Formats: sequence, C-alpha cells, structure tokens
Amino acid sequence: MNVGRILVVDDEPQIRRVLRSTLTAEGYEVRDARTGEDALTALREERFDLILLDMNMPGMGGMETCRQIRESSEAAIIMLTVRDAEEDKVAALNAGADDYITKPFSTPELLARIRAALRRLPVAAQAHPESIHLPGLEINLPMRRIVVKGREVRLTPKEFDLLQYLLANPNVPIPHGRLLQAVWGPDYGGQVEYLRVFMNRLRKKIEPEPSAPRYLVTEPWVGYRFVLPGEADRL
Amino acid sequence: MFIQWKILIRQLAWSAIVLIAVTLVCIRVFPVNATTAGLVYLIAILGIASASGLATAVASSLAAMLCFNYFFLPPVGQFTIADPQNWIALAAFLIAALVASRLSSHARSQAREARRRVEESEHLYAFSRAILLAGPDQPLGSHAAQQIAELFNCRAVALFDAKTGETFRGGVEDLPAEDKLKEAVERGVRIGNGQVIVAPVILGGPPIGSLALKGPPFSEDALRAVLNLVAIAFERVRAQEAASAVQAARQSEELKSTLLDAIAHEFKTPLTSIKAASTSMLSNGSLAPQIRELGTIIDEEADRMNSLVTEAVRMSQIEAGKMRLERTAVDVGALLSDVVAQFGPRAEGRELSLTVSPGLPQISADSELVSLAIRQLIDNALKYSPPASPVRVRIDSGPDGVYVHVHDDGPGIPPRDRERVFQKFYRRAGKANVPGSGLGLFIARAIVRTHGGDVWIEETGGGCEFCMSLPLQKEIAEKRGQTTLSPDANR
Repeated sequence: MNVGRILVVDDEPQIRRVLRSTLTAEGYEVRDARTGEDALTALREERFDLILLDMNMPGMGGMETCRQIRESSEAAIIMLTVRDAEEDKVAALNAGADDYITKPFSTPELLARIRAALRRLPVAAQAHPESIHLPGLEINLPMRRIVVKGREVRLTPKEFDLLQYLLANPNVPIPHGRLLQAVWGPDYGGQVEYLRVFMNRLRKKIEPEPSAPRYLVTEPWVGYRFVLPGEADRL
Repeated sequence: MFIQWKILIRQLAWSAIVLIAVTLVCIRVFPVNATTAGLVYLIAILGIASASGLATAVASSLAAMLCFNYFFLPPVGQFTIADPQNWIALAAFLIAALVASRLSSHARSQAREARRRVEESEHLYAFSRAILLAGPDQPLGSHAAQQIAELFNCRAVALFDAKTGETFRGGVEDLPAEDKLKEAVERGVRIGNGQVIVAPVILGGPPIGSLALKGPPFSEDALRAVLNLVAIAFERVRAQEAASAVQAARQSEELKSTLLDAIAHEFKTPLTSIKAASTSMLSNGSLAPQIRELGTIIDEEADRMNSLVTEAVRMSQIEAGKMRLERTAVDVGALLSDVVAQFGPRAEGRELSLTVSPGLPQISADSELVSLAIRQLIDNALKYSPPASPVRVRIDSGPDGVYVHVHDDGPGIPPRDRERVFQKFYRRAGKANVPGSGLGLFIARAIVRTHGGDVWIEETGGGCEFCMSLPLQKEIAEKRGQTTLSPDANR
C-alpha cells in the first residue's frame, strides 16, 4: 500500500536512515537526497507528494532549495529546522514550505504533520459549480485553476485549500482556529503565524494589489474573510 | 664665580675707556664749560650703568666725579673736595648711576626670567607630547623618566608607580632613593634635600606614585606641571589597560558563545536521530515490556540532553548579551494555557491547575522567552514537590502589570536561600538526584528582568510560591522596541 511518495533531503546520513526506516514502515515510498542540488535532480526525474527538507545544509541551503522547488513543483514541503525561533519559522513558511518541525522531533509528531500536509480538502462541487469571476481574478475550483490578470497562477496545495475554505463561507469572518483545523488538521489551532504567512502568500499571488487586499481581508483579532462583491457573476 | 670676575673686569675696562674718551672729548675736541661737562658725564654714567652691574656703576660714578672735579671744576687741575658743588655733582652722578643701574639690572633679570620660562614651557610641551602621544604598547614609565631627564637636563630621575611598585629611572646618574619615593607616596608631601626633590604624583585623590629629580632647579609651576603630566600619563595607561581587558573579556564571551552555538548544533544532530528512532520505536504498540522500558529510558535521556544543550546555549547567549527580544502583544492567559497544556504527559497524574483572573491586560513581550520562563517555574514546582501533590498556577493583574504565581506543596525554600536559588548552577542541598543543570531559574529571571519585571519567592503559609511580574505594555512602549538581554539587566 503506497500512501504517498516522500523525498527526504538532509546532509546527515543517520537522519536519512532513521527517516527512511520510519516512513517506509508507515507505508510511504521513500527516496533520499544529500544536497539541495540532488533534490532538484530527483524532482526532475520523479513526482513526489511530499518533501522533507533540512534547513541547515551546506552548499545550497534549505531555504534556497525550497524556493527553487516551489518554482516548479506544488508538492507539500515540510522543513526541518534547528532553532525554535519565530523568525526561522516565518522564514521557512515564506520560502514556500507548508509546515516545519524543530529538531530533535518525535516521530509520531512528524508523521502527524506529514499527514496534515498531504491532506486535501474535498472540493465541495455544489457550492461553486463553475468559475467565480472577479475583476482581475478568475477562480475555477473544480479544475483547481486560478487566473490572475490573464495569467495562470499556481497555488500550493495548502494555499489552494485555504482559498477554497474561505470561499466556501464568503463574506463571513472565519476565526483563525477554524481555518487552521480545517486546512491543516485537528492537531492545529494555535499557529496563527502560519495563517499570517499563508495569507500573505495568497495575497501576493492573487490580489491585484497585495498590500491593499480587496478579497482576502483580515478581521483583526478574529481571523480572515473572503470578500465576494454582491452577486458576482457566476456563469 | 670665575665667569663673574671676568665679566666684572671687562665692564670696568669698558667704563674706564668711556670715561677717558668723554674726558678727552670735553677738554680737547669740543672744549666745554663745567656745566656742560657735568651733564655729559651724567649721560656717560647713565650709559655705563645701563650696561654694567652695580659695582661698575658705582666705581664709574666715583671716577667720573674725580675727573669732573679735576678737569672742570675750578680750580682746574686740582682736586677740590671742600667745594659743596663738588659734592652735589658727586651725589647727582651716584644717584643717577644707582637708579640706572638698578633699572637696567632689573630689566635684564626680568628678561632672563622670561627666557627661562619660555624654555621651560617648551620643555614641558615637548614632554607632554612625548608622554601623551606615546603608543599603547610603549613602556610608559621608563619612557617618561628618560624624557624628563633629557628635556629638563636632569642628571637623575626616578619615577615610582605605587600601584605596580615599579621604579623607572632616567638620566645619566643613579638615584638610589627607594625609601624616599615610598615615603613621598605614603605621606603625600614633598621631600627635598638640596639638589634632590622627591614629590608625590597626585591626580585628585591619594598619591598614585612619586617622582625624584636631581638636577637644575625647577620653578614651582614647572614642577607641578610635570607632576600633573606624569599623573595623567599613569591614568591613561591604566584606563587603556582596563578598556582592553574589557574588550578581551567581551571577545572571549562572544567566542565562547559562537563556540557553544556550534557545539550545540553538533549535539543536536545525533540527538535528532536518537529521538526520531526512540519515538518511532515506542509508537509501536506491541513491544515487549522490557524493550519498551529500555526504549523509554533512551527517549527520556535524549530529551534531557537536548534541554541541557538548549539551556547552555541560551545561557551563553545571555552572558554574551546577544539574545534579542521580539516583542509582540501577548495575552498572558492564552500563553499560559498553552504552556500548561504542553505539560500534559510530564505532569502525569498530578493536578496542574490554572486560574486566570478576568480582564487581564495584554503585555508587550517575547512570547517564546516568557513561555520558557514560566515553563521553568512550573518545572521547578513539579520537581521539588511530592509526587502526588498539586501545582497551582494563578494569574492576576495589578496597577502596573500582570503577575503569575506558581505554587507547590513541597518543602519550600528557606529565607536565606531565596536569593541564592537564582544564581547560576545553584542546586538545592540534599536534592542532588533531581535532574537539572541549575541554570533554569537564572535564565528565567534574566528573561523576565529584561522585560522590565522580576521573579521572586513569596512568603506563603505552606509550600513554595514563585512570583513573576510582567509590566504593562505602556511602560515598555517607552523603551524602544527590541532589547538585548544582559545578565545584570537592572530593575
């Protein structure tokens, strides 16, 4: 039973070894890479569902590898960080990671995060049968296509899930906790900084003016809201 | 003295020539009457007195009077002493000579004095340059002694530094004045016998050294100036030494911190594999009990090593002043709920309760570091109280901030130890088998103090209560944004 394909990127052989052993036992198919360059090569050769990426690697470091991976792949990325500092976490998420975990970690926790990252929200077809057309933004949920000012924009799975959930309840403020649990899973609820980073990423990708968001609006102290103006044209 | 005789003889010779010349001129070349002659002699005397010393002036006055008497006063060709006019003439010559002589010698000695002072000033200037511009690695003591000897023409100089006990010498002769030098420092007064002066070097306090000089006399001002310069030079050397010691200490701390950071990273790498393997193994439900027990031990010890390394790194960061706070608006109630929730498995079976007063204000703090500090207090409470007793955490607010109380039912801390528990590496006596590095409370208090608050032990009926205060946002907003943690962040 193949639950998913995981690429493990870390310069430490023992860590690669223990992760391979653990993940294989869980049913994942595992390939590993020693450096960022090797990881990019592997990605060119095969498709992966999730990438475990070490933040501190010699040569092309974890952050740079993450950015380069994001240019061509929407696979889920979990970064392994050494320090617990907030700035590291935010930096990891800003570089395109979907989640992170601090070393040393406990394996059950890592497995839970992997499951959360691989989780996909089912597209509720009845809510939005076709596309949503907004000025400068076209969202086609069933086909998972987003077009901004005529150009197609690729969202990572978590970014798409977040957008989808907000759209499922338009014009209503959705609390942080609910968003986190819906998109990341029941183990999450307090990581407001995740939301902050992901909302920023989404805004940069789909808002006509990311610094003055029209659609993805912050509800101070509460959460976020998708503004769907009036009865937007639904074809 | 010999030189003075030579000068005297020269002056007498010149004045004699002048007088003879005047006499000849007044008799032969321009024959004049007595009055005119008298006036001419007067002028001659004035001139002689201006250019010569007093003795020559007086002698010339007498000689001039005799010439005047002999050649001009009637009866000419004879010495007539009886005539009162004679005596008046003599008196006039003498008075003029005296006055002129005194004025001119006064002026000359003033000029000499001025030249001497100028020379002294130049020497002092050269000395001050030599001393104050000396590089930090030049041995200042011997340099100063030699400069004094050279510039001021001293035959022997001895400079005594009271702090190090060293004596520096300069000049060609030797000045064995050790005891005098020390005496000058102790008594703080000048000691001099004849040619040797020993003076204490003072810079607004007790003497820091002394200076012995053997040579030409110094003016009081010059001596004082030299002593002050020497004092300043000493102080400068001391200040430089202190500054470079501080810099060396700071560099050593930074080096230690960098080293510790690198070592911590090295430790965390194998710890990662160990922890991943142990937790993975333990998540298997069907382990034989003994294997599970062994695996648990590995897991717990890996945790312990991890927290030791983290604490050590944090402590070295605090010591090096490198830790930075990232302040955000923090809801202490929510923060504490998270912290308490994280204690779940560790507080197994024990009651860990949290009471939050309503209406708590938000504070501006670094949430991670404050969580760490609170975790430390709760950890302590759990460690040092009986296994089944409850630990109660309470938050309330006061007019100036938020207060967190952690209470346990353990034996408590006696008043004499209440300050000591916060010191580095302090472990309570008799509790040596309780795990820990003794750094937790030190770090917790350093964190809270940098936020402007404090950690202390409250007096309670039974058990032990730690209190932590975190000041309100408004007060903190006055201090600017990010602050660096330092071990003696004062309240």
